[in-house]
Amino acid sequence: MNLSELTAPFEKALTEPGEQVRQWKAKQGGRAVGFLMTDVPEELIHAAGFFPYGIAGGNAEMEAADAHLQPWICSYARNCLALALGGKLDFLDGLIVPQNCDTTRMFSDLLNHIRPFPYMDIFRMPRQVGRSSAGSYLIGEMERLKYGLEQYAGKPIDHSDLRSSIALYNRNRELLRRIADIHAQNPNLISSRDLYTLINGSMIMPREEVGELLTAIREVLEGLTGSGNAGNQVRLLLSGTLLEPLEILDLIDQCGGTVIGDDFQNGFRYIESDVAIKDDLLDALAERQLNRIPSSAFDIEHRQRRYYLTEVAEDKNASGVIFLHLGFCEPENFDSYDNLQAMKRAGIPAIRIETQFGRSTLGQIRTRIQAFMEMVGGDDSGCR
Amino acid sequence: MAAGEVFKTASLMKELMTRYNETGKEAKDSGIPVAWVTAVSPVEIIYAAGLFPYYPENFGAVAAARKVADKLSAFAEARGYARDLCGYARCGIGDAYATEHPVGEILSPDLLFCCNTQCGSLPKWFEVAGRFYNVPYFLLDAPRVGLETDQLCNSYYVEQLHEMIAFIEKLTGNPFDYDRLSEVLALSNEACRLWNEILETAALKPAPFGFFDASFHMAPIVTLRGTREAVDYYRALKEEIDERIEQGITAIPDERYKIYFDHIPCWPRLRWFSDLFASHGALVAVSQYTHSWAYSFDLERPLESLAENYTHEFVNRCFDYRVERKINLMEKYGVDGFVLFSNRSCKPNAIGLYAKSKLIREKTGLPGVVFEADMSDLRFFSEAQVLAKLESFFEQLK
Ligand code: SF4
Ligand code: SF4
Repeated sequence: MNLSELTAPFEKALTEPGEQVRQWKAKQGGRAVGFLMTDVPEELIHAAGFFPYGIAGGNAEMEAADAHLQPWICSYARNCLALALGGKLDFLDGLIVPQNCDTTRMFSDLLNHIRPFPYMDIFRMPRQVGRSSAGSYLIGEMERLKYGLEQYAGKPIDHSDLRSSIALYNRNRELLRRIADIHAQNPNLISSRDLYTLINGSMIMPREEVGELLTAIREVLEGLTGSGNAGNQVRLLLSGTLLEPLEILDLIDQCGGTVIGDDFQNGFRYIESDVAIKDDLLDALAERQLNRIPSSAFDIEHRQRRYYLTEVAEDKNASGVIFLHLGFCEPENFDSYDNLQAMKRAGIPAIRIETQFGRSTLGQIRTRIQAFMEMVGGDDSGCR
Repeated sequence: MAAGEVFKTASLMKELMTRYNETGKEAKDSGIPVAWVTAVSPVEIIYAAGLFPYYPENFGAVAAARKVADKLSAFAEARGYARDLCGYARCGIGDAYATEHPVGEILSPDLLFCCNTQCGSLPKWFEVAGRFYNVPYFLLDAPRVGLETDQLCNSYYVEQLHEMIAFIEKLTGNPFDYDRLSEVLALSNEACRLWNEILETAALKPAPFGFFDASFHMAPIVTLRGTREAVDYYRALKEEIDERIEQGITAIPDERYKIYFDHIPCWPRLRWFSDLFASHGALVAVSQYTHSWAYSFDLERPLESLAENYTHEFVNRCFDYRVERKINLMEKYGVDGFVLFSNRSCKPNAIGLYAKSKLIREKTGLPGVVFEADMSDLRFFSEAQVLAKLESFFEQLK
């Protein structure tokens, strides 16, 4: 199979969200448990025998949520609520909401009152990660979450099941990282849009199938490396809470840019590290969480995000940073100024562009990207 | 019968708060570290360690009450901080960058202690402050607690209190004094006890004291909890209220209804609100906000008890707990209706308020209303809209 045939199922999954879950249920029976982006230890959901489904937004009548959420609530929460109210998450039997900001902290309960799922839980990750108390607490929280999933599954999660789920997830992440590497070396082999389609598709497809497809994609790409023109795209680092909409990547590509890294929850933050396979697997899951790359909603002290971003920009030889700032995302609002200042001090050109779930205006975004690309010296001929 | 008379104690509070602010400035000069702290946090540890606790939220509330929140916020907005951030944070960040200081300069910290029970805005604000002032930041992390007692959360918090104490010991070079902590906790207990006795007088019919009075008199229970001054202050206030009860002085003339209010007052329009309610014979008698400072510490198990009190406060609880808490207060004070303030500054309290309002109406049968505004920033206050909402609410009381 060629590359586009192999990436097609990921695209299809994103254009027909939930379809894969329905097919999976029809084929083998079972229940699906969704989660909001993306700190939830999915491996536990998988090991309990459920279909893990990452909700990264989708087409919905946003107005449906307006009666419940004030206008100053972020569009991610609004979009998720609109999806739920519009029946577009009906294929889910459960939902886990990570507590990473005040919105998510309140969101699960709100949903529980207006559109409950049979199984609902929250994941209370620690917000400080530099001290030893965070580790012991987090293991306890993992145990609690695991217990809840076991109750809902009606059976315990075996050590060996969890072990194979972790191995499967590690493998998928490793494959995605490898593909991201190939992309960074030669964006002509696989575009930014395709890379992020794979990452986002992998959150909503059966993970076993994801593994098979990604393996094949990697093989095709490895066969191609060394061939063709590596191109002279302008290398860009993206940063933000969530990458939305994916069409922004097309704009960047058209303007002669390419994305070589990011810290999105539905980007590198999802794939950047693995879970150690060891005796105590909950401890291993906790360790991964504590060492995740910083985001505005998690660990800003221990590994300061602005330094992390300048390091990545320098390591990956980025010509500029585009902050895709989700409007009304409170944690991001607090960090934004200092992030931009840090880039300035490091001499890295940076720009902030505001986005909204379901309500971004691509025309305006295109103009901003175009202007930025002119500044950092890209070939913007494709933008005109 | 003289209603709405100014409390004599009010002038005492002015003195008390002026002295508190002066002590803060003196601390700076005499080398006592100024620790920024958050309202619902174990300040008892800070007092016991001999540090000066400073409440930037209080700075925000003062700026809001003096109607300059938008001016200070403009300095933060000029840097790209969004208008939808908590107004207190915008005032604090704004003042740090400001060239004018309409309420005096915010006291710069030597270290930052944040407890995130209340919200996620405070830790983000304190992180910003940590970068701005370049000082150490310590987060006391409290995972959200559901309906039941949460042992996992309590032990995590206790472990963090040990870490906090070790952090302070390292900073000051002095061993932490647990005897002093006992004294401070006893003083906190006493101030909380008096404060709650005072609040309870709002249940009398007619009442000598209500929510707007409480909003005015609450600064010491927030900032001076754990000191002798707070105890003396509330003792004086309690005496004055008892006198008023004897003399038949009431909070508003002609009290016909009692109202539950959620949650923070709209500071720049405090007077407007209190006059409006009074003009309808409605006494705002109770709010979960003023009732937050109802701690009771067990001196035998100080750290465990600090953890239980601070992590299990309503600000850190789930939707159902909060609804139950509101309904309990409504019942206890025998209210005739409820008003819920959807405060755009304060997401953790405002999110879900419409669903809560519906649920409370169903469970209690009481009339209720939700209105939109901001606790500090008048740019988000539409008098016509708020009035329309409240007028139709008053109609339903009849
Ligand atoms: S982190 Fe930002 S985008 Fe995510 S739920 Fe919270 S406010 Fe919304
Ligand atoms: S008003 Fe709300 S958001 Fe602001 S500091 Fe207080 S609790 Fe936090």
